[in-house]
Amino acid sequence: MILRIEKGSAVPISSQIAQQISMLCASGRLQPGERMPSVRELARELAVNQNTVLRVYERLVRDQLLEMRQGQGTFVAANAASTGLAAHRDSLVEELRQLARQGLALGLESEQLHELMDQALEQLQSSASVEKEAS
Amino acid sequence: MGVHAIEFQVVDKSFRKNKVLQGTTFQVETGRTFAFLGRNGAGKTTAIRMMLGLLNRDDGMIRVLGLDPQVDPIGVRSRVGYLAEDQTMYGWMRCEEILRFMAPFYATWDHDLALQYARDFEVPLQTKIKHLSKGQNVRLGLVLALAHRPELVILDDPALGLDPIMRKQFNRDLITHLQGEGRTVFYSSHLLYEVEPVADEVAILDQGRIVRQSETENLRNDVKQIVLSSDAAVAVDETTSVLQRRAEGSELAIVVEKAQDMIESLRNEGVEHRVVDLNLDEIFEAYVTGTNNAEPHKKAEMQRIAGEA
Repeated sequence: MILRIEKGSAVPISSQIAQQISMLCASGRLQPGERMPSVRELARELAVNQNTVLRVYERLVRDQLLEMRQGQGTFVAANAASTGLAAHRDSLVEELRQLARQGLALGLESEQLHELMDQALEQLQSSASVEKEAS
Repeated sequence: MGVHAIEFQVVDKSFRKNKVLQGTTFQVETGRTFAFLGRNGAGKTTAIRMMLGLLNRDDGMIRVLGLDPQVDPIGVRSRVGYLAEDQTMYGWMRCEEILRFMAPFYATWDHDLALQYARDFEVPLQTKIKHLSKGQNVRLGLVLALAHRPELVILDDPALGLDPIMRKQFNRDLITHLQGEGRTVFYSSHLLYEVEPVADEVAILDQGRIVRQSETENLRNDVKQIVLSSDAAVAVDETTSVLQRRAEGSELAIVVEKAQDMIESLRNEGVEHRVVDLNLDEIFEAYVTGTNNAEPHKKAEMQRIAGEA
């Protein structure tokens, strides 16, 4: 599991860790039943306070992304992918809302915003297909 | 021992006319990692030297592990590990020699543990101290501060002069060897973003006063910048604590404490506003350069001005 912490960011460290873990669950890179590093290990690895990591694990357990098994450690929960996806949907909607607000502030119309979104999608799809051909 | 490893109650300290600490009050709970932040010259080192009984206070009360450092400095120092800001050690000694030299000063010195830490922190035992790099020097200091198994560890700006990689390594050592073993760590710095990953709690010292003490996680939620139009600024409640205020054309940007309350009341009153999340450096700056350096009555005045603007 590779996580990246940005120090001094406006996003609290605990949120950074939680978001990245739920992203890894949503994308299937963390598989249900997979064992998570212990609080101590992850704290050391990231050079982050153990209490912070513990709080993140507890929060993700509450959100049903992880489960703690007595005496065995912390594991990725069975439905982690769909739960993670749902959580990400919410934050994606929030980000889109902010982008839309910026667009409106710049004087763009709804039509133009949709057009920009379509263009962005097209670019992604065409670069993905180029990569496929190359490989 | 009480729940507080360190306690300062309304402590004053002056050097001639220079008032370094003025009514400084804070508590450090046992078992936590506490970051003590302030600009250069804010009084951090003075406060630390008082904790160890190296300086006497003019007024107020200090307890370290339940002891008064002024009355029982040796009692305090035997139970506290201390790493000074620019710890000078005998340059001609080899690292291994200074470990043996220090041992008899402490009844609880554990020499095997000292050697173990030296290995963990990659301190070259056969090298003379004057040939150590800055990073090795700090880590040797840490070995010396920890080998008597102190309950409380006081580190005066340990990360100063370390490169980013060494800092991260240092934080790792701190987490594994100190937090992992349940010790209280008191750690001074002038870089809020550096202490954020490791500290449970932070206190900001400015001009000899604690201007804020908070759980690290809560600080960001509590302190935010709010941008609203100057006309709407009358909606800023009298009781809101404004840390920093900037007018820009028809807009007013204020950094406030208890931001959630204010956002809610602005929302209830239907006042248009924008909330900006701040990073820790910006929060620190708001506390140490903002209006809150002013006396309380001036603070109220600033708010009145903000209200009128």
